Amino acid sequence: MRARRSHLGQSSDLATSTGQTSRRHRPDYVILVLTALLMLIGLIVVYSISPGLSASQHVSQGYFVSKQLLDVGLGAVAFMVAAYLPIRRWAELAKPLVITALVGSLIVLFTPINEIYPAHRWIRLGGFSFQIAELIKLALIVWLANFLNGQWRKGKLADTKATLKPLIAALVLIAIVVAKLQSDLGSAAVMIAIMGAMAFTVGIPLKKVALISVVVAGVVILAISSSGYRRDRLASYLHPGRDCKGNSYQACQALIAVGSGGVFGLGLGYSVQAYGYLPEASNDSIFAIMAEKFGFIGTTLIISLYAVFITRIKKLIERTPDQFPRLILVGVLAWLSTQMVVNVGAMLGLLPLKGITLPLISQGGTSLVFLTAALGIVFQISRYTSYNVQEPKTGSGAGSSDQNNLNGRRLRGTYNPSLTTRPRT
Amino acid sequence: MTPSLNPAPAPKTPQSAKRLSIWYGVLIFIMVVFIARLFYLQIIRHDHYRAQALSDQLKEYIIPAPRGIISAKSGSGTVPVVLNEKLYTLYADPAFIKNAPETAAKAAAITKADGGEYEKAMKSKNSRYVVLARRVSEDQKKQIAALKLPGIGTQAQDYRTYPQGSLAAQVLGFVNNDGKGNYGLEQALDKTLMGIPGKLKAITDAEGVPLAASRDNVQVDPRPGQDLVMTIDLGMQKTLETILKAGTQRASSPGASALIMDPNTGAIKAMANYPTYEPSQYFNVSDANLFNNAAVSSPLEVGSIMKTLTASAALDSGAIKPSTTYNDPGHWELDGHSITNIEEDGGPGLHSITDILNLSINTGATWMLMQMGGQTGQVTQAARDKWHDYMVKHFGLGQLTGIEQGYEASGYIPDPDKGYGLQLTYANTAFGQAMTATPLQMAAALSSVLNGGTYYQPRLVDAVVDGSGKLTPKKPVVTRKSVVSPSVGESLRSMLEFAVKDHFKSGFSYLNFGDNFSVGGKTGTAEIANPAGGYFTNRFNGTYVGFVGGDKVQYVIAVRINEPHLGKYAGSGAAQPIFGALAHMLIDNFNVIPRGGG
Repeated sequence: MRARRSHLGQSSDLATSTGQTSRRHRPDYVILVLTALLMLIGLIVVYSISPGLSASQHVSQGYFVSKQLLDVGLGAVAFMVAAYLPIRRWAELAKPLVITALVGSLIVLFTPINEIYPAHRWIRLGGFSFQIAELIKLALIVWLANFLNGQWRKGKLADTKATLKPLIAALVLIAIVVAKLQSDLGSAAVMIAIMGAMAFTVGIPLKKVALISVVVAGVVILAISSSGYRRDRLASYLHPGRDCKGNSYQACQALIAVGSGGVFGLGLGYSVQAYGYLPEASNDSIFAIMAEKFGFIGTTLIISLYAVFITRIKKLIERTPDQFPRLILVGVLAWLSTQMVVNVGAMLGLLPLKGITLPLISQGGTSLVFLTAALGIVFQISRYTSYNVQEPKTGSGAGSSDQNNLNGRRLRGTYNPSLTTRPRT
Repeated sequence: MTPSLNPAPAPKTPQSAKRLSIWYGVLIFIMVVFIARLFYLQIIRHDHYRAQALSDQLKEYIIPAPRGIISAKSGSGTVPVVLNEKLYTLYADPAFIKNAPETAAKAAAITKADGGEYEKAMKSKNSRYVVLARRVSEDQKKQIAALKLPGIGTQAQDYRTYPQGSLAAQVLGFVNNDGKGNYGLEQALDKTLMGIPGKLKAITDAEGVPLAASRDNVQVDPRPGQDLVMTIDLGMQKTLETILKAGTQRASSPGASALIMDPNTGAIKAMANYPTYEPSQYFNVSDANLFNNAAVSSPLEVGSIMKTLTASAALDSGAIKPSTTYNDPGHWELDGHSITNIEEDGGPGLHSITDILNLSINTGATWMLMQMGGQTGQVTQAARDKWHDYMVKHFGLGQLTGIEQGYEASGYIPDPDKGYGLQLTYANTAFGQAMTATPLQMAAALSSVLNGGTYYQPRLVDAVVDGSGKLTPKKPVVTRKSVVSPSVGESLRSMLEFAVKDHFKSGFSYLNFGDNFSVGGKTGTAEIANPAGGYFTNRFNGTYVGFVGGDKVQYVIAVRINEPHLGKYAGSGAAQPIFGALAHMLIDNFNVIPRGGG
């Protein structure tokens, strides 16, 4: 126990930031419970619609459930491994992870495309397929947390050359590798959201954040205009109902599923849209299927579960004294929340369809396994929260009033010694 | 300061905390928006989406009832002539076809069809159901199912099968791919045979397969169609078809019909047309005329066989007596035209009624008609009205008999009071021109005369068997009583019997029926109307009506043969031999009770 407790202090890199790390304590089991609960819901829903799925996709009845069971099992292992791998190790893993992600991205370029795998996104081994973008997301969070922590520590967050240039380089790399080569705009969007959230939260000046946003906007416009099917998807988003038999088919069927659920839903075993009407019923469209089955009461409950999850992680962020784990938390929160928002938004006709899974519930093995791994890290970090940091300012009684002070910006400079490490260049 | 010397500041600056709160606030706000949107979609717009969902998902299916089978009589029992066979329709759902060329090639290899056609069908847009092949056998269906081709399915369907091949094809008709009866019995009694289809109203998956787990499913079971037992005698029908075929071919005729009827019940014992077709292969028949039961559906100017009815009417009305003789002038001038005799015998002179029938004297038939108006030399309105009344009201000409056949034709009887040249027109009707009737109508009318005056509706169905196996016999239907008085029937019978005997004596050796049996008949050689006006001078149809019996008339036979090429009179040359063969067939094989035997 002793060794484990002190592991954060052993890395020279992290020594300074973790010097006052709070003691290891009971983890936040709510994280574990929520993770397990959402996976269980997913399992039940997939199980209940597998007759429809197997009929419309001409596979055996047990195929979907056994696949989902396997994924949940792998997810549980990933969660445990991540929860027990010392956080210091994760910082050290930043580089190897990035390199693995890049090598993986190279490998997928050489995997053949076919009807089931229509883009260079998957590494396939035997019966398993592995979506490289999910590894990239995890690598991105770890690398970014490490990098931003370093820059923050050096006080160079606002430094264009030292901080912004690498960030923009990373953005461009994501645009090329994920959006362009893997044709996976959805995953790219989640990564950009993760970067944005981490950069925003770590405190990069708004002007610079705006600059990054301009770059992102440019990339998005380029990506959409360069691809016919993205234009179609955007058009179907802007004019839903115009072409319910063509491009807007999935969007229309999703709305039908959601709307036909009513207040109480049709019941667990009574989804009809899963029987070949709504594409991707077990993964991207699973929220609409749940809406059909469980009605408004069910969907409100599921949204609330995510809200609780998000709130819980936000609390953890507020109580995490160290910058590196804190940034990891921010990244994971961004991952979880962005996917949820993009996925549900699309099912509700509020956002264009992106081909993004509903976190922890959707079938989609790689996504599930990597997200549970990330939540495993969150679970581990939850052992080191400090109630002190919940107070706005350690060692500063002015903290709480400071946040409510309209002039806080100016005041901040006067009382916060750490500000000296973040010169506003 | 270097970072390393910085004494571990809390990473959370107020600015960072504020940004986190803003971000968190945005996320919570989005989730509130989601819940609001869900409220709108799931509660406010629920009915709209529910209706939309049902319009896609709720489908109504017809569950076809098993179609009734059709049997013919054979001895004292029955033999099925139309049965059902379960075959499969092979279809594709283009939306689920993954690899059209490969799928098409694999499916076509089993059905031995053209893969290119299948591929084209599989690529059709805007359809979720394209039929690739019909009548796929159980075996082929299993082979295709084993391939597990996505988007390919089979659907069971009952098809008609005919153990007796083309037997009575036109009488039976066929059932098309939509399960609807066409022509013949299948058309006329479609509803009886079809039964009452069941209904399944069900929520289905996208491929249209009903979902078991649906609360809204409604199922109404089908009521099976009723089986029919025909009046047709299998053996008699077979022999008749053989005789008809031989007679038609011998005369190089393009088509002929013959029927045998029981004059005492109206039951049709045999009825056929030649050429015919295989009902199991109806879809390969290019000439729709082959489907036609010409004996029922193709009226013609019947020619001299009509004189049997003219004589009956004149006798029944009291205008003439069986013993009446008259002086035939050889021709009549009516409405500026001359009525003459086209047959060799019977020039001017003194003739009996029997002579008129035996020698087929047109001027004699006209004379009989004139007597109905009481004025020799004129076909008066009184004569026309009376004759019209007999033709239509007594003999049922110009009206449907009501036999259980699709497309029955009523024929045509001219109006006695309206139009031009009515004397001439009506004089023509006395010997079977300027009017049309079907062989069936002629047989039924002659039957009513010969049986003593009861017109039985001609019918093909002897009994109906319902789903539980209960057999309900059909009783003979009397359409009219007192068509003519019984004595008229006796007179006609002996006159026609005489005609057959006389023909035998004059050289038609096949008309040798001896004295134990009562066989009579009348030939007809009908001129064919030229669409351009008048009649063809060199084209004739042959007709014959006759009977076979002993003390009692047991069978009435009608024959028509279109445009025989025998160089003789069509009636005696082409139709009479068919009658002769049929009469022999009946006497030899079908229990004709000789005189004094009953």
